Amino acid sequence: MIRKLLIANRGEIAVRIIRACREMGIETVAVYSEADRESLHTQLADEAICIGPGPSVQSYLNMERIISATLVSGADAIHPGFGFLSENARFAEICEKCNVTFVGPSSEVIRNLGHKQIARNTMVAAGVPVIPGTDKAIYDAGEGAREARQIGYPVIVKAALGGGGKGMRTAYTPEEFESAFLTAQKEAEHAFADGTMYIEHFVENPRHIEFQILADSQGHVVHLGERDCSIQRNHQKMIEEAPSAAISKELRKKMGDAAVKAARAAHYVNAGTIEFLLEKNENFYFMEMNTRIQVEHPVTEWVTGLDLIKEQLKIASGLPLSFNQKDIRIQGHAIECRINAENPTKNFRPSPGKITQLHLPGGQGIRVDTAIYDGYVVPPYYDSMLAKLIVHADTRQEAIAKMRSALGEVVIEGIDTNVDFQFEILGDQDYRTGNINIEFLNTHEIGKGEGV
Amino acid sequence: MRLKQMFKKTIREREHVEMQARPEVPDGLMKKCNACKAAVFVEDVKKNYYICPKCRNYFRVHAYRRLEMIADEGSFEEWDRGLDSGNPLHYKGYDQKVALLREKTGLDEAVITGKALIQGMPAVIGVCDGRFIMASMGEVVGEKITRAVERATREKLPVILYACSGGARMQEGIVSLMQMAKTSAALKRHSDAGLLYVTVLTNPTTGGVTASFGMLGDVILAEPNALIGFAGPRVIEQTIGQKLPEGFQRSEFLLEHGFVDAIVEREDQKEVLAHILQLHLQGDGAGQDEAVREDELFLHRETQTCEMEAWDHVQLARAKDRPTGKDYLRLLFPDFIELHGDRYFRDDPAVIGGIASLHGQPVTVLVQEKGEGTKDSIRRNFGMVSPDGYRKSLRLMKQAEKFGRPVLCIVDTPGAFCGLEAEERGQGEAIARNLYEMSALRTPLLSIVIGEGGSGGALAFALTDEVWMLEHAVYSILSPEGFASILWKDSSRAKEAAGVMKMTAQDLKKLGIVEEVIAEDRPLNRENLQELTEKLESQIAAFFSRYSALSSEELTEKRYQRFRKL
Repeated sequence: MIRKLLIANRGEIAVRIIRACREMGIETVAVYSEADRESLHTQLADEAICIGPGPSVQSYLNMERIISATLVSGADAIHPGFGFLSENARFAEICEKCNVTFVGPSSEVIRNLGHKQIARNTMVAAGVPVIPGTDKAIYDAGEGAREARQIGYPVIVKAALGGGGKGMRTAYTPEEFESAFLTAQKEAEHAFADGTMYIEHFVENPRHIEFQILADSQGHVVHLGERDCSIQRNHQKMIEEAPSAAISKELRKKMGDAAVKAARAAHYVNAGTIEFLLEKNENFYFMEMNTRIQVEHPVTEWVTGLDLIKEQLKIASGLPLSFNQKDIRIQGHAIECRINAENPTKNFRPSPGKITQLHLPGGQGIRVDTAIYDGYVVPPYYDSMLAKLIVHADTRQEAIAKMRSALGEVVIEGIDTNVDFQFEILGDQDYRTGNINIEFLNTHEIGKGEGV
Repeated sequence: MRLKQMFKKTIREREHVEMQARPEVPDGLMKKCNACKAAVFVEDVKKNYYICPKCRNYFRVHAYRRLEMIADEGSFEEWDRGLDSGNPLHYKGYDQKVALLREKTGLDEAVITGKALIQGMPAVIGVCDGRFIMASMGEVVGEKITRAVERATREKLPVILYACSGGARMQEGIVSLMQMAKTSAALKRHSDAGLLYVTVLTNPTTGGVTASFGMLGDVILAEPNALIGFAGPRVIEQTIGQKLPEGFQRSEFLLEHGFVDAIVEREDQKEVLAHILQLHLQGDGAGQDEAVREDELFLHRETQTCEMEAWDHVQLARAKDRPTGKDYLRLLFPDFIELHGDRYFRDDPAVIGGIASLHGQPVTVLVQEKGEGTKDSIRRNFGMVSPDGYRKSLRLMKQAEKFGRPVLCIVDTPGAFCGLEAEERGQGEAIARNLYEMSALRTPLLSIVIGEGGSGGALAFALTDEVWMLEHAVYSILSPEGFASILWKDSSRAKEAAGVMKMTAQDLKKLGIVEEVIAEDRPLNRENLQELTEKLESQIAAFFSRYSALSSEELTEKRYQRFRKL
């Protein structure tokens, strides 16, 4: 079993991991930047080591410092959390070379799943449905146009190394293709120094459905059902829930089987997430596999009764899963809202600063994962997520009511937050009836003055 | 009280089975940068040209890795491996030390030499390796370099030497000292054969290597912050009993003091070396383009500007927004490489000199630069050239003569710098020397006065085969203010003086001082300059190709007569 764990992250996920360790009797080492001296994770861990100045490149992305801190502290494992180095194959590889347990899959698996084309080929070979598209790299707009005709419009052009919506463009007709391709390619060259593109069928107004899986090093793989993460702004998730209102028992089994197949094909070990796009006609397509714990993991925890961080640590220690697929039951309905320090009326501009007054909700069926406290200063260097508010109830309607109540109780003064914006989404008629897809925020007038 | 003191610590689980090998950093994964003290991944360092990814400190590079960085892959053919100097002094333990280093480094001595291609162009290359007794120059090092240079002379190839050395090899005594003579002599013959020699000075280059092949390059490049000197800093400090200032004997210090042509970052070196080689390829004289019709550029008509008073021309020539030399450089010579320094004392920022190509032909360009904006103008001393600037220009003109490329001088100076330091270093001598040498330089010379042609300071850039002037440029014995002050004891009568001095382009053309007046349809500024340079470019090229056709006797005779008749 892991004896002492270094958490190569900050904020609420670092706190979340430290808490799991405290329960399991694993000593913890926090690393922190100069801007995070007063952060909760720095204070809650058994030890804390400063790894550099505020900007992530010099601290939370500084592999040399993090490895050195690990060895100096005597930790035998690193949990990367999400973001930062969590899906950095090179970092995982360095951990392997230094005999440090990396809580996550092997560097090879991360590398392969991080490469869209390799990942896709693996899934095709395993019989996991993928969006029809090119299976070779496209560099030239003319060649791309021919491929697009084969695939069928609408099509989307994507950068091989893309992410976060960069290097991505849609073309609904052949006339639009060239401009879409060249724009996306230029963006990709700029952002990732690589103009390798591929083209696929554009799935219109799908839901974002992802399946959580756990895989141990003995080869057991189970899925823990789906999360519906369709409420997104610029590809950034805002609200996630489990189960999805759009998924029947039969479809869950079908998609779950595909997710398990995908994990097996990738020789996956540890917790992972397979993202699918789900069309209205219940066709679903593999998008990508995330090789880390995800922000929205608590909704799955609540409907399955499992602690995913503890499961991760057990798997990383070489233990087998203590349950199998038939033990997994989805109970009730869970919803998570991400509370961010940002101003929705000013194009979601980040709003760092000091929290002058804080009240967070609680009570039955309400969970708050956060690292903020009264008087905490939100540094300007990092992701703007302050807290995750998660609720659980028997039905979706009850969960929505609980979330509305809980959001209405949140008081975070001194900085701007998206709490009211979230509150408004929860009140939307389409949201309440479960009529959502990834275009929800583009097609609904949220935060435009009315409501609340 | 902070939360940290209030939280309870984790209660450790009892039984613990060691499930894995102890975490440790394996050998060769990380190293410490001795400059910033940060731990860095060896792989990152290797990928980054052996430059610290955190602080950009330059790590030392093994000779063969250095070759990989500059030579085309697989093109290196090593020469003269396996030479042995023996032990001339019978110095105790020397044989064993050399044997041990050979085994440890895989090198046979402190330099490797041979032939390679750089972007497809052949060159003889030598690279010193500091792991071998600090790359000190014993007989084998001297011999390998000498043989490589001799073979380069025979095969008419350029030589590139990457220097890095502690100096002479003490264990070989006087025999080592003689290597300085031997290598220098071989390089002299190579140079006399008209061949190119480039040195790249890396950290550290000291002692007998600096005082021989290190400093003899036609072009001397250096890596940033490399220690370069004759006596080592410790020796100097002990001798004079003083602490040396920060940056003393570093590349940047040498650049400022005129001994290094350019400091080049490691990742750019291959590109820069290839460009230098390319500008020294033995051309076939082709590449002559159709010149624009002369009347599109040159003023032959009587125009309204004649009605302008001389003083108006003076004002225009001195205007703040008038383009300066570097604007012409940028537009006429996009591939210009600046070469700094006079090799005596200093690099004068009032003169920008270097090489470039014009219609595919190499050309040396020398520019008097007034500067743009207050800060730059102060740095460039408002275009008032110091003796060091004239000496730099002469060095580069001599170099142009050696390689048979023409020289373009761009004149824009209020006059030679008059100041204490200028007199101390022989301003008069420097100008005289330029006139003396330029009169017989065996390569075509063209001078263009673009703004102010002030006195001897301008003439030292204008003893050329032809002188062209922009329509609103002026050229005179001294400033109109000075003229009025000397003759009329009243400098405020400058305007009147300008009228009688015959200093405008058209007046000077009538006097036969200049050959061509370049029309300015509108007074020049940085925005409209390009319209002019596009036409000017082909005229300059046509001029050089016309004059290159002359034998050097005809050329120098013509130039002699040009001034003889005045």
